[in-house]
Amino acid sequence: MTESITTLTAPISLSTYHQLSLTVESASIRNSGLFKPNPYLQLIIDDNISRRTEVLKNTLHPKWKEEFTVLVTPLSQLVFRLADHHSFRKDHIIGEKRINLLKILLYCNGKCENVELTLDLMKTVSQDNASNTNTEVKAAELVLLLDGLRIDPAILNQSHETLGESNNSRSPLSDGIRARIRLRNNLENQRSVVHLRNLRPPPGPPPLSNGTGLAGALDGGAGPSRQDEPPVSSAASAAAPVTTGAAAAPAAAAAAEEPLPSGWEMRYDVYGRRYYVDHNTRSTSWERPQPLPPGWEVRRDARGRVYYVDHNTRTTTWQRPDTERLARFQHWRGERRHVVAQGNQRFLYPPQPAPSPPTADHDPSAGGSGAGVAGAVGVAGVAGGAGVAGAAGAVGAGGAPDDALGALPAGWERRVHPDGRVYFVNHKNRTTQWEDPRTQGQEISALEEALPPGWEIRFTEEGTRYFVDHNTRTTTFQDPRPGAPKGPQGAYGVPRAYERSFRWKLSQFRYLCQSNALPSHIKITLSRQTLFEDSYHQIMRLPAYELRRRLYIIFRGEEGLDYGGVSREWFFLLSHEVLNPMYCLFEYANKNNYSLQINPASYVNPDHLLYFKFIGRFIAMALYHGRFIYSGFTMPFYKRMLNKKLTMKDIESIDPEFYNSLVWIKDNNIDECGLEMWFSVDFEVLGQVIHHELKPSGDKERVTEANKEQYLQLVTQWRMTRGIEEQTVAFLDGFNEVVPLEWLKYFDERELELMLCGMQEVDVDDWQRNTIYRHYTRTSKQVAWFWQFVRQMDNEKRARLLQFVTGTCRVPVGGFAELMGSNGPQRFCIEKVGKDTWLPRSHTCFNRLDLPPYKSYEQLCEKLNYAIEETEGFGQE
Amino acid sequence: MAATRRLQKELNDIRQSGLKSFRDIQVDESNILTWQGLIVPDNAPYNKGAFRIEINFPAEYPFKPPKISFKTKIYHPNIDEKGQVCLPIISAENWKPATKTDQVIQALVALVNDPEPEHPLRAELAEEFLKDRKKFTKNAEEFTKKHSEKRPTD
Repeated sequence: MTESITTLTAPISLSTYHQLSLTVESASIRNSGLFKPNPYLQLIIDDNISRRTEVLKNTLHPKWKEEFTVLVTPLSQLVFRLADHHSFRKDHIIGEKRINLLKILLYCNGKCENVELTLDLMKTVSQDNASNTNTEVKAAELVLLLDGLRIDPAILNQSHETLGESNNSRSPLSDGIRARIRLRNNLENQRSVVHLRNLRPPPGPPPLSNGTGLAGALDGGAGPSRQDEPPVSSAASAAAPVTTGAAAAPAAAAAAEEPLPSGWEMRYDVYGRRYYVDHNTRSTSWERPQPLPPGWEVRRDARGRVYYVDHNTRTTTWQRPDTERLARFQHWRGERRHVVAQGNQRFLYPPQPAPSPPTADHDPSAGGSGAGVAGAVGVAGVAGGAGVAGAAGAVGAGGAPDDALGALPAGWERRVHPDGRVYFVNHKNRTTQWEDPRTQGQEISALEEALPPGWEIRFTEEGTRYFVDHNTRTTTFQDPRPGAPKGPQGAYGVPRAYERSFRWKLSQFRYLCQSNALPSHIKITLSRQTLFEDSYHQIMRLPAYELRRRLYIIFRGEEGLDYGGVSREWFFLLSHEVLNPMYCLFEYANKNNYSLQINPASYVNPDHLLYFKFIGRFIAMALYHGRFIYSGFTMPFYKRMLNKKLTMKDIESIDPEFYNSLVWIKDNNIDECGLEMWFSVDFEVLGQVIHHELKPSGDKERVTEANKEQYLQLVTQWRMTRGIEEQTVAFLDGFNEVVPLEWLKYFDERELELMLCGMQEVDVDDWQRNTIYRHYTRTSKQVAWFWQFVRQMDNEKRARLLQFVTGTCRVPVGGFAELMGSNGPQRFCIEKVGKDTWLPRSHTCFNRLDLPPYKSYEQLCEKLNYAIEETEGFGQE
Repeated sequence: MAATRRLQKELNDIRQSGLKSFRDIQVDESNILTWQGLIVPDNAPYNKGAFRIEINFPAEYPFKPPKISFKTKIYHPNIDEKGQVCLPIISAENWKPATKTDQVIQALVALVNDPEPEHPLRAELAEEFLKDRKKFTKNAEEFTKKHSEKRPTD
């Protein structure tokens, strides 16, 4: 827990603002005059921001109980000034105190939660004018409550050092400052009375509808007849009436099994197997239910659906909590405090002048380079305004006669800008673009001669065109088409060409976003406690195109204008919230890394498709507004967004066991193996086996050596979509409404991840320290070269390399030591494999790079570059 | 079910082959994914009893390997108190869809007969096995006598 975020440097952490909830409770003032004062308290943060309580009349014991939410840094100085209000003359200061927030933070180890502070407010009394000695006397005592601030202790220690204070222990508070942690109970109980009413059923959830589960189990297990329902055993009947709250199960200890929760019953099927009926949800299960954990309760919503209330966290869920789910939930909650810190570390490129678009014909900016400043909001606003005005103003110039390309796709219209230039309106998602949708993406190859098979055109970051030959895995600036002009070549024959066009593509994408921006802004007001639901309702209430307006995010009860910081936080928090295991919408893919995939069991939540649509919109908003999300998706999911074909290799990252079996089938002659496989498959979700025929009458067609290629294709397709197809479609629908998917088509899946999650400063020392070697040693020359190569790369390339080996560009919060593989912790591993003519390969589920023993540094660079630049065709035997 | 035909065939083959070391195979006709049977080892100290095991096949069999657990307590370095056993042939790395259940059972019987203390699940038993074989054998025999099932008579 105290692992520091290694890349954080002190200045960043110290200047980071955090919210602090500060309640001014009461004071008691020493009587020093004839009249009782009219006290109020003024709070000054960093000699800058000032807040004050109301004035109380004529009292020595004012009780305000006023709560302020203020923005502070760990280094903030807080001044509390108690003053006496006078209507006719200047207010008189009764006493004041200056405190260093850092001292408080150190005292409570970074956890400023429910900390009660008692301050002695001092007044300076000049004793002796001649000697300039002033003494301070205590004039009043002030009681405050601080809450809601939590700082990583490691950061605190850093800030400690920068302050030049050497004592590393928790310095006791002195100087008339007393702190104690107030027990939550009293307050909490009062609050929970209020909040419990808000414990509505969770965003979505309940179980199998109207007894289908029960019916299913009866069909599958016990058969249609009910007569064989065994008499409920005595143990069960004794147990059944026990109420949920009865954690005191020892009564049944003799029975070795704990009693069933209320509403559950044990039955036997025809085969004498035990199963359990949950009358609350009308579902059945083979597994014995565990009693609800302490603090949980079963409830029913207005429609009679059962849900579960967790009074500990004041949340609800449709799914019955079990140990595993709770453990996952705990883990998820534990991440929360890292979320925002993580957000501050992500970046892409700083806004910079974008290179001009590909060809003059397609340059959408009226003034050529005028629109090139992609990052500048002002310009974007103008461009956006012009686009919209144009869209509204130009009247149906559609259907121009000279269309040799045939009709436009449905929902598209061709219009003419007042200055005479043609543009295109996509009515489906209300966007405009200069590019003709019939040629977009192929503008070069379609207008010119086709490239030879296996070739592709790409652009360097300067926008220079180059050519990738996937047949030989080489690139060149020279146009391979006959008659094309010959271009320059880089050193080593290739390296210059490795400069991919990500930057360029990104600026194009930004340009598309900005030219479709709408004026004004939308306000989204949320409360932190109900972030998910509030966001859901407000985002789904608006027409999708409105979400392209500038965002103005307000957290209820908190000050601070949204100049970007708040919305950045919102994207980060909400994207983490989506992962809440209790919502059952997404899950980590295969324990390894930290990528998300749709949870096939999400249907326990009856409204799950709406939620996926919402998340689709939200993710598109992140891209559109250039914000990052906390946790990314799996590579296959990005490929799906890009409408790329999923291959067998894609299965490896989400289900290595399954993948290995497919590879075995592919590599071996399967006739005579007795595999007994047919064109049909099964999988299990929430205890139900779902059968699927891979093609019509697949149950009757045996898989043989002759038809296994087709089988593998169909199985691959099925494995990547099973149980999540509807959800994916809903997600893409929502996404496409905000950002048309065609805007992404120039990106590959790794670039998409970078765009969504941003890059992180990669700590190469930490990486190297936590790398293990097989058949190499730390001192092998290839290993030395590898690290030399890594150190010479820029961040984007390091991210690419990480994606190649670990499947994601993100590094765990605790650094490389916490890298996970499919079977638990798995460090970055470099293994000597093959000959120097081979290309490096990777095994993302084991975080392993197979690095052949190359003969020179140059060779190693060249081969590694190939491998990490290409997304397909490498290490994919 | 996709796995049914394969398992049906494997089950028939195993029953016909009449394995001496794996008997009394019970499979619920409605759920062929769960098998039970009796392991009958030949080697001391386990040759005085029989041990019930359960084999659970996943719905995705044979893409994924089965799982085996002991229902009878056994004093063995490679089988833990919960009855879990670590068998390389059904590990994620080694599993092949062509691996048959009878091979798995034979590998299991071989492991029971000849413990592999170098890959222990119960380190303390492995240590005893290596350092004080006499004591180990005595403990294992007593444990077998106390917990194991009766061996089939034929």
